[in-house]
Amino acid sequence: MTLSLVLQAVFAGVTNGIVYALVGMGLSAIFKGSRVINAMQGEFAVIGAMTTVLLLTKSGWPYPAAIAGGALAGALVGAFIEIAFVRYMAGKKASEDSFLLLTIGLALTLSASVLFFIGRDGHLLPPIGGEGVLIVLDAVIQFHALWLIAIGIGATLLLRAFFHRTTLGLSMMAASIDPDGAATTGINVARMRTFTFVLGGLLGALGGILVTPLIAVDYTLGLNLTLKGFAAAVLGGLTNPLGAAVGGVTLGLVESLAIIGISSSYKDVVAFTVLIVIMILMPQGILGRAGRRGG
Amino acid sequence: MTTDPLLALRQVGHSFGGLAVLRSVTFDVPEGGIVGLIGPNGSGKTTLFNIVSGYIRPLAGTIDYRGASIAGSSIQQRGLAGLVRTFQTPQVFEQMTVLENIMVGCTKLTRTNMLQDLLRTPAARAQMQEIRRRAEAACERFRLGALADLPAASLTAGQRRILEIARAVVGEPRLLLLDEPSSGLNAQEIENLRDWIVRLNEEGITVLLVSHDMGLMTVAHTVHTLYFGEIIASGDMAAIQRDARVREVYLGV
Amino acid sequence: MTSRLLWIVAALVIWAALPFFVPRNIADLLVFTGIYTIAGLGIGLLLGHCGIVNLAQATFYGLGAYSSAYCTVMLGLPSIAGFVVGAVISMALAYLIGRPILRLTGYFLALATLALGAIASALFFEWDWLTGGTLGIGGIPKLDLFGFVLDRPSRYYFFVWIVAFTCMAVAHNLVGSRTGLMLRSMRDSSTAAASLSVDLQALRTQVFVVCALFGSLAGSLFAHHASFVSTQSFTVDRSISFLLIPVIGGATSIPGIVAGALFVTFLPELLSKLGDIHQILFGLALVGVVVLLPDGLMGAYGRLQRRLAPRRSGHDH
Repeated sequence: MTLSLVLQAVFAGVTNGIVYALVGMGLSAIFKGSRVINAMQGEFAVIGAMTTVLLLTKSGWPYPAAIAGGALAGALVGAFIEIAFVRYMAGKKASEDSFLLLTIGLALTLSASVLFFIGRDGHLLPPIGGEGVLIVLDAVIQFHALWLIAIGIGATLLLRAFFHRTTLGLSMMAASIDPDGAATTGINVARMRTFTFVLGGLLGALGGILVTPLIAVDYTLGLNLTLKGFAAAVLGGLTNPLGAAVGGVTLGLVESLAIIGISSSYKDVVAFTVLIVIMILMPQGILGRAGRRGG
Repeated sequence: MTTDPLLALRQVGHSFGGLAVLRSVTFDVPEGGIVGLIGPNGSGKTTLFNIVSGYIRPLAGTIDYRGASIAGSSIQQRGLAGLVRTFQTPQVFEQMTVLENIMVGCTKLTRTNMLQDLLRTPAARAQMQEIRRRAEAACERFRLGALADLPAASLTAGQRRILEIARAVVGEPRLLLLDEPSSGLNAQEIENLRDWIVRLNEEGITVLLVSHDMGLMTVAHTVHTLYFGEIIASGDMAAIQRDARVREVYLGV
Repeated sequence: MTSRLLWIVAALVIWAALPFFVPRNIADLLVFTGIYTIAGLGIGLLLGHCGIVNLAQATFYGLGAYSSAYCTVMLGLPSIAGFVVGAVISMALAYLIGRPILRLTGYFLALATLALGAIASALFFEWDWLTGGTLGIGGIPKLDLFGFVLDRPSRYYFFVWIVAFTCMAVAHNLVGSRTGLMLRSMRDSSTAAASLSVDLQALRTQVFVVCALFGSLAGSLFAHHASFVSTQSFTVDRSISFLLIPVIGGATSIPGIVAGALFVTFLPELLSKLGDIHQILFGLALVGVVVLLPDGLMGAYGRLQRRLAPRRSGHDH
């Protein structure tokens, strides 16, 4: 095991980890705002990436505009899902299981739609910042990876500022912590829930767009990212979107360091085993007090 | 009275996040007695109750049941040993019928394994019949017969309380732990409850009763008053009501 | 209860006559319905009686299928060996994994089982020395009952459904037993159930083991029907469609499981006539069921019956 191999693995881990973090932050924001575990969170990534691919190649948009379009598509789908389904079911006091099944059904539908409308093929986006690479101690690091890390950290800091500094962010926090209390102060709790889905869609789509220059996006990517994002969110404390950022990077590092020297397809095995072990060994601790129960 | 107490608490202490809720609580529940526990909100009654029934592990002290420590026993093991509780808000199985609720209380008296149940062996069938027979008898005894086939969700608060007690009693407990049994009941229902406590006690069931209700508390032979996690007075209800400290801190006189 | 008896007799007659009147492809689907009923029964017990969402059934289905494939093709053992090996491995795995993960509840347990299914799916793919990877294992012999070879769907149909009926009877026994009582009490209030000495952990683990047994049995039956098994049959998607069986049909009702199994085998086939759009429609159908029929087809049927006959007693057993 050489130093450059380890360095390469660390970089790959951080890069993947940022993507898991973005998906996980979205999942966590939605859980915090609505107590729904969104099993189609990974599909937001697919929607964002595929929309960007289509805008870039079919519509000929400039790359930054296509990226913005992709992110917007994620946000819009998030809003649609909350308004069309979640709101209705929340009104009927549906159980945790029902919400899980709803989002699984939506994930199946979206994944099948991608297969139907776009096809089986994987699609790549051009790397942000060009094809160039940086060589550090024989480890090859793509410029895109550096951009990805920078954008990921930037998005995390923006999210933090949003929740702590803006009126909308603070209202969303209030509505998730104490819906009744928030309602008495004039906050529209249902609209806040819509916003958490918008935020979740936006973050998931961003994660998908950023990873697509590295991994070809196809209709099967969503489920895998959902599970990785969930693992990131659980690691970081499910109701804390910023914790999910730390969780995502940790997960990325663990899986990429664990597979040095063995087949990379064990990466998922490692990540999912970590997820199960964390849930069992830290049933309360990692979540804090509020996270456990659905209500 | 030189026999060992049924339940003996010695220097039991507990705290939540550094805040002491029980400090060195020591008392006995003699076999065949009715022991009451009163105290204002936040005095540690519920914590103590959860410790005795096994829902919380105490941080200090010992609890002996029938002369042996039960510190390491699970809720289920305590139940099998005859120590059964009810809940402040009656916890009935809402989607099951009244009869089925009581049948669940009988399950611990029989021992089939799941394989026998899957294959519906004669032993499994016989045990199920036995469970049903006992539950039906209990239903009649507690005057729930007319309600037997209704889902428990449709019962009134008073009926739920009686159902909860019937469900506990049918499993042949030695020590019945009643947590605020009169809460949510009207005067008539409380009178009925009081009769049941006395009757069950006469049949040999020892009772530990936690309540706010001074009227109900007069059924207890001995009453301990908890205040901020400590026992500040013990004795029969009349003595407790005369106790200056109790009057000061609890009755607010 | 004579009307109920009549219903059962009528259903049996239709069941016995069916394979002689339907085309081969329908008979084939009916075989799959039987196999899915068996796998779905286990999930229904977990979902309806323990409140557990199991998204790992394809794992046990795969273990059963690969055991049958490996034992018959690679080792040349009789078919029964595959069934037994698969059942033993599945139950042992369910016990070992169930002990720790069944301490979780709600979403966390559901996602833990999903992760488990994803791990197994990756390992089936990776351990190609055992499973043949994507190439799979072919040439699995048809079942042979004392010289009578079940080589046509219509013959296999009877065998599969007799196994399915047996499993239904076993599930029915469990629901009506002492264990069934305790399971239902636990679902309503686990706190109160514990106070009555109901051992939640042990019961949940046991039902998980039974669910795994059913999954493995279904997998072995599938292997002998398809003659070929490969990783594609044991993915997380398959676990999801297994979960849909009790969700769609109604988890607490055994006829509901059959209805659910019919739904997940026949609907995709019917929709596939519409072309590739069928998968989208299937996803939408699931969303529709979850949103509009929260207690499944059987629950909706029950509500309809009660609405039509409001004077009848509301709860029949």
